[in-house]
Formats: sequence, C-alpha cells, structure tokens
Amino acid sequence: MQARSALSIQRDVIFAIFVREMNARFSTYTFGNIWILLEPLVMMGMFVILFGLRGSGNFGYAEPPIFIMAAYLPFKLLWQGTMRKNISVLSGARGLMGFRQVRMFDLSLARTLVEGGLFVVVATILVVIMEWLGFNAVPGDPLKLFYYCVIFWLFAASFGLLMCVVSSFAREIEKIVSLMTLPLLFISAVLYPMSIVPVKLQKALAVNPLVHANELIREAWFPLYSSPVADIGYLITWMGITMALALASYRLRWQRMIAR
Amino acid sequence: MIKLNQVSKYYPTRFGPKYVLRNLNITLPGDRDIAILGQNGAGKSTLLRLIGGIDFPSSGAIETKRFISWPLALSSGFQGIMSGRENVRFVCRIHGVRETHEIEEFVKDFSELGQHFELPVGSYSSGMRSKYGFAVSMGFDFDTYLLDEIMAVGDASFRKKCAEALQNKRSSSNIILVSHDEGLIRQQCDAAILLAYGRAEFYESVDRALYRYQNL
Repeated sequence: MQARSALSIQRDVIFAIFVREMNARFSTYTFGNIWILLEPLVMMGMFVILFGLRGSGNFGYAEPPIFIMAAYLPFKLLWQGTMRKNISVLSGARGLMGFRQVRMFDLSLARTLVEGGLFVVVATILVVIMEWLGFNAVPGDPLKLFYYCVIFWLFAASFGLLMCVVSSFAREIEKIVSLMTLPLLFISAVLYPMSIVPVKLQKALAVNPLVHANELIREAWFPLYSSPVADIGYLITWMGITMALALASYRLRWQRMIAR
Repeated sequence: MIKLNQVSKYYPTRFGPKYVLRNLNITLPGDRDIAILGQNGAGKSTLLRLIGGIDFPSSGAIETKRFISWPLALSSGFQGIMSGRENVRFVCRIHGVRETHEIEEFVKDFSELGQHFELPVGSYSSGMRSKYGFAVSMGFDFDTYLLDEIMAVGDASFRKKCAEALQNKRSSSNIILVSHDEGLIRQQCDAAILLAYGRAEFYESVDRALYRYQNL
C-alpha cells in the first residue's frame, strides 16, 4: 500500500461516501428518483390551486407556479434537506466508524455535497419542464442566484452541523428542530413575498435570516421584484457566525460524540 | 513497530471514569505475530480498536508507520443495506484503490459466498459475515492485520483457508489477534500481550503468557 497525504485520503473518503449516499438515496425507495422531482411539482400544483381559489397568487412579476418553485425548491432542498442530513450525521456515522480513514466530518461534507448537487439537478430539470409547459421559468440573474444559493446552502450545512453537536448534549434538540420546520416555512417568506407583509411586521420578520435568503433568491430569479428587506450582508453574517460555531464545537466535541 | 506511549483509556460512566487501560507503555514488534490475552472486560478489544485507529486514547499516543488493517470483528463496519460487492467497492475507495474489480472478484472467490455476494450484507449469517470480513481484508496488503475473534465462527474448512492465507502474507505482514481459543493462539502467534489489572505485559513466549493467563 502507498502512503497518501491527509488531503487525498479525505478526498477518497468523501468520494466513497458520496457514491454510497447517492446509492442509498436512489436504490432503497422504489420511486426514489421520481419522488424528488414529483414532490415539488405536487407542492407547486397544490399552491397554485389554493392561490387560484383565493383569487390571488399573481403578484405581477411572476406566474404563480414559478413563484412557488423559486422559493419552495431552495427552502426544501437547500435548507431543510441539507440541514436535516447534517443533523443526523452522528447516527449515520456510527456505521462507518469501523474504518480509521472515515471521520464524521467527511460524512457531513459528502452529504452536504449530495444535497447541493441534487438541488442543482432538480432545479435545472424543473426549470426545463416549466419552460416546456410554456412558463417563463428561467432565472433573471443566474449568477447572482447561484451566489445566493451557495450562501444559503453553507448556512444550512453549518446550522445542521451545529445542531448535531448541540444535540449530543440533549437529544431533544433534534426533535425541537424538526418541530420548527413547519412554522419556519410560514414565517420565512416562502409562500408569499415580503412586499405584501405590512411594513410594521416586516422588521420583525426580517430578523429571521431565512427570510433574507428567500427574498434574495426571489430578487435574482425575478428581475422585476425588489425586496423591501433583503440584505446579503445580514445573511452572510449569520452564515459566518454559524459556520465558525459549528466548526469550533465540532472540533472540540467529535471524539466524545462518536465514543460509545 | 507500533509504539504505545503512556496510553490510557477510560469510559465516562455514572460512577465516574472507568479505566480500561492505564498508562500503557509497550512496543509491539513488527515481525512477531502477537496474541492479546485477557479476561472479559480487560480491554482486549479496546486495545485493538485503539491500534486500529477507530477509537482514541483518553491520553497518551500511539505511534506507527505501518499500514494497519481495520479491526476485523464480527460487527465490523459494513453497511447492512448494501450488497457484499458494494461494500467491497466502498472499502476499496476509502483505501484509495480506484480499480476495484480485481479485489471484488478476489473477495467473491475467497469468501465462497457465490450469489450471496450480490445480496445485502445484513442478510448474512454470522459465519458468512466473518468469512466475508476476512476475505475483504485479505484483498489488501496491510503490514499488520488486526483480528478480533473473527476466526471463531467460521467452519473448519474456512479456518484452514484463513490460516493458509495468513501464512502467505507472513513474509510481508504480521497479525495481532484477540482470541480465547488457545489452539488458535499457539498455532498463529509467537508472542503475546497479557492484559490484566489495567496493565499490559509483553511475553516473548506464548506458552508462558498462556500459563500466566490461566493462573490469573
């Protein structure tokens, strides 16, 4: 056997876990590969019908399905998916701990990459489908959109890892975080733009960094939309602080976390 | 050569830290096949896990330049839902082997699993699992193999095959073996470590170590 540098070991391990996670994701469910496209489509359909019944949903700068897609997709895949996979990284790592090369952090990185990659693939396919159906689905400013999505994604991964470390002190944290997902969907400007929120409430809602992420993505997707609150600096600050905390706490705690 | 420097390992419990190993200072030579002896709970498997790098000493350090296998135990880290072949691929990848086909076929041959090789590892019996685990590790050229009771479950013909495979690797590698089977220890090892009272003693002769072990 040949000695490898620490970096190339990590690269090999991340690649191995990446393949394994992809496999697990798409081979255990019979409809796994379809479901990942179907779920946002069903969601979009549902909300279009709901908005249609209320006679609203068309905000003038985007067709309702595209409006829902532009917010729901990043929220669901980038935020919820990446965060959840990172929270459960400890239980996932237990099965991999038989090999000295594999560290919990590699699993976290690999899962984050899988989720990010899935988002890109699913979003591309959905945009193509919607274009084909005759909607105007192509993002107005793809580069900016990509930039915002990366920040959002890193924030989700950091938050997930931090919660994973914190939940090694109290398992309940995991439950609390999963309880929060539904309320967060409602207060994070996913299904409505901040521009229809009363000005008095805007400030209070804008404390939530997810609002900024969703609003920024919306701005980049629809050139005609201008958000009253979106601030990339605020989101980056949250991301930076969360990431620093996550990495520091992980580094202090990982050996005790995997000890049985 | 594997050097243990003031290695201690304790597990936190309700009753305070429970020491399994305390300030071990031993050197394991690279050209001897070493048995680890000790009563239940003496820390045999823990020591093996520490050497294998999948557990970490509470204090002290383990130094080595050798390529050490993962500790081969019955419950060693294969994914139950993945097939034998997929698990081999995974192990190859984390060891930096990109061309996995050769090792896959070797493992399939050696483990005598046949069709089961394409089925989830979770569905294997304990005997099959030990054959499989042993075969996977034999697919790689490690300097030191760590065996944790792995040969105890296999049938007679497979044990013979294991012994032969190990014999072939003798020129380039050695083994560190945890077992309660005296016959196996006498057959496979030419040195021993006795773990007792949180300490470790190195014996050049297996017979003396076994004698001490039986009179603990």
